[in-house]
Amino acid sequence: MIRFFSRYFGTALATLYMLACYAFIFLPVGVLVLFSFQDGRLPVPPFHGPTLVWYGRALGNDRLMAGLGNSLIVGAVSSALSVLLGFLAAYGIARYIFPGRRALQAFLVLPLAVSYLLIGMGLLVTLSAFGLSPSLEMVVVGHVVINMPLAFAIVLAQLGEHQRRMEWAARDLGASTARILLTIVVPLIAPALIAAFCLCFTLSWDEFLISFLVTRFDVTLPVVIWTMLRGGLNPQTNAVGSIIFAGSILLVATVEALLFGKRRA
Amino acid sequence: MTSPCRTDTKAARGALLALIAGVAWMVVSTPAFARNTLDVLTWCDHEDPALLGPFEKANDVKVNFKDIDSTAAALAVLGQSKPGDWDVLVADETDTGRLAGLGLLAPLDAKDFPFGDIPTAIASPKLTSVNGVLYSVPEKFGYNTIAYNKTTFDAAAAADINSPWDPKYKGRVAVYDYYVPEIEYTAIALGMNPEKLTDADLPAIKAKLIALKQNAAMVGDVTTVQQALATGAVDVLFGGGEWVTAGLAHDNPNLNYTIPKQGGVRWQQGLSVFATSQKKDLATKFIQYILSPEGQGKLATSSCYWGMPANSKAVLTDDQKTILRWSDQPTYIKTTFPYLQMTPDFDKKLQAMWAEVLQSK
Amino acid sequence: MARTLAPVVAVERSANEARAARRDRLAGAAFTLPALIWILIFFAAPLVLMAYFSFTPLSPTGGRGAIGLGNYRAFFAESAYVEALWNSVVTTAIVVVLSLLLAYPFAFAIATKVPRSWQRLALAVAILPFWTSYVVRSYAWLLALSPSGVINWTLHALGVTHHPLMLAYSPGATILGFVHFFIMLNTLTIYANLVQINPRYVLAARDLGAGAWRSFLTITLPLSIPGVMVGAFLTVVLCIGDYVTPQILGGFRELLLPQVIMMQIQRQLDLPMASTMSLLMTIVVAIVYLAMQRWLRMARL
Repeated sequence: MIRFFSRYFGTALATLYMLACYAFIFLPVGVLVLFSFQDGRLPVPPFHGPTLVWYGRALGNDRLMAGLGNSLIVGAVSSALSVLLGFLAAYGIARYIFPGRRALQAFLVLPLAVSYLLIGMGLLVTLSAFGLSPSLEMVVVGHVVINMPLAFAIVLAQLGEHQRRMEWAARDLGASTARILLTIVVPLIAPALIAAFCLCFTLSWDEFLISFLVTRFDVTLPVVIWTMLRGGLNPQTNAVGSIIFAGSILLVATVEALLFGKRRA
Repeated sequence: MTSPCRTDTKAARGALLALIAGVAWMVVSTPAFARNTLDVLTWCDHEDPALLGPFEKANDVKVNFKDIDSTAAALAVLGQSKPGDWDVLVADETDTGRLAGLGLLAPLDAKDFPFGDIPTAIASPKLTSVNGVLYSVPEKFGYNTIAYNKTTFDAAAAADINSPWDPKYKGRVAVYDYYVPEIEYTAIALGMNPEKLTDADLPAIKAKLIALKQNAAMVGDVTTVQQALATGAVDVLFGGGEWVTAGLAHDNPNLNYTIPKQGGVRWQQGLSVFATSQKKDLATKFIQYILSPEGQGKLATSSCYWGMPANSKAVLTDDQKTILRWSDQPTYIKTTFPYLQMTPDFDKKLQAMWAEVLQSK
Repeated sequence: MARTLAPVVAVERSANEARAARRDRLAGAAFTLPALIWILIFFAAPLVLMAYFSFTPLSPTGGRGAIGLGNYRAFFAESAYVEALWNSVVTTAIVVVLSLLLAYPFAFAIATKVPRSWQRLALAVAILPFWTSYVVRSYAWLLALSPSGVINWTLHALGVTHHPLMLAYSPGATILGFVHFFIMLNTLTIYANLVQINPRYVLAARDLGAGAWRSFLTITLPLSIPGVMVGAFLTVVLCIGDYVTPQILGGFRELLLPQVIMMQIQRQLDLPMASTMSLLMTIVVAIVYLAMQRWLRMARL
């Protein structure tokens, strides 16, 4: 009886704690979305509204939309490069034995252990030393530095013994390495590749500091939002945040459904 | 069966090719603009699409801007740029001499601009010219004094420059994060002549600023202090003025500013063309647009912050003129000091002092 | 984040062992070459350049000075800078401890109290705000913390306070913003570790008469330490180098190292000093890594 009670009590306590955590986690998001409907120039309490006017303004804001486009391009290109380079490196390390392999593996994941600020500073110093102009391309470069190690680690974890036998079989049948890669390895670890791409894209999409340090006029969305925040109070920022949130949820749900559905089939 | 050695290196070669292709893409994709661009280094008030839009349309040009929050920030950006990267500069006019001395600015012709419509005190050659050569066109000015919330802060208290130090307002004071006006305003509070500060004055100013910091709830940039005052997080802003209250006049009519009896600081922005600009004609056109009555009206009521237009013919509604206190300007100009003029070395010292003040507990 | 690396299986040695070994060396190296080159050019080389910059302080005229420790001496001579480093270390330590203490029970509850088929969803919802813009989210905290914001409103409604508390623009607000982000991250890493623990261990302990607390303390907790440590290290790396949260929420009541670094870049154009500061920050992270190495190895970072 006591045991039953304590168990019941424990579950109630756990539920309460989880609810409190969810409330805390969603608090700023709720405030953000609420004040995107604010009827007035100030996105500060008390709430007046609701109105959709700021959504209209945000969607009609050229600089925001340019930033959105830039972020999509940077995210897609840097994630594709990260997954490609990470995949090749992981394959090389998982399938071949060569001296310095362990050290190389440790070296390739090293960027995961330093701050984004350091990577951004490094690129900025490089630009400055060689007299180069800041540009969107440098953001792609920086994002590959932070994301490629991640893609590498994810793919390496997925390159197991199972595919290896199939690869040997294919090789015995005379298939070239390129063909083995494309027809056996890639399809087998496709979920890992897609997951790595999505993770890289998410991180690139929201990365501020590197983008801020190495760009000038063509900037990514977080930098546009930062500039807007410094350029006066404006519920447009809230509207953009809400739109990104909604879009991301949709994207995550779609990817989940695709990957999850496949696994069940 | 082909040699595995050959095929493996082939695949690796493919990978290398992919890498090269990736790099090549980045080189090739460097955006080639069909449209002309004008690159402007500016304070946030020139970023309002309502202000830039008409100029961009009329001249089929895209105005690129980079945000600065001090002349020091502008110099930092220039240090990371190549000559010719920038066309127009918006900066505190007090630094005109310093910037021209570095050879950064192109001489301008006063005949191109409506100097007849600019009040004499604002058009003063002391701020715009060096040795009789015009380098900067005044465009907007305002005050760093005391901004406050009428419902919680007494107007009589605001008339005294020392009120932000009053223990009565501990935790209710905000400080604007721009070392130049804040240091100068503190010097006024100490009874110094703010236009002639020397190294010897700095220890006293630092101590006074640290005392202010201890009484303050926060320090912040333009938007942050605006938000703090508007949300009621603080009651008074040291260094505030119309730039923080005017834009919010309709959303929060309780916000007010005043010039204390000891005086205040007057900020004044000017437009300059860079000596290395390849688009000097377009840059001059841009300045002419900003100085036009329409441009001046939009600049004065820009979304980042409002301020008095330099051109007295600026297109503004009566309501907007009231909010800007159009008729009080002659008195205000008389009771305020322009920003102090610094050597680069003195500027560095002030910045280091400011960092120490921010860090003090 | 999947940081576990599968064991690499040794190659079967065939008759022409030597040839195969040579082939492996060449091909393996060739496959890793693109990634290696990228990291060398865009990560390692810039770091070397930064180190060189940090040893060549700016001369008073703005040019390059002679090689020396001038920047490091200047850093430790300026109290505002040393305090910024100290503030960053203290803030990061508080954030690590708080976010782990809050995230662990949360991850544990999801892993043990939520039905298996719902756990994925419960976890996904817990990290959902991760997908709002980080910059916007920090600023949304300002709204929540303002005198008329939701937190003050709630406290007032509950009768806890009678006057609005000054919550925003303070080191505490910075920590709150950080903790919010890192609870999500640590819940993820800790959960991933908890579900990998074989439930039979706990069942066995319970069968042998151990109570719930005892089996948790002697089995689950020690086995989940690697996950906790991975989360802690990620928190250190990401927290100590962040500029957005303290800049928006901190109200400049005290400065953290990234803020001082950005001042060097944005106002003083002193890239050598900024490099010096960034490297000092990295040394702190490296020390943390060495201290935690034992557990991080176990998690196969």
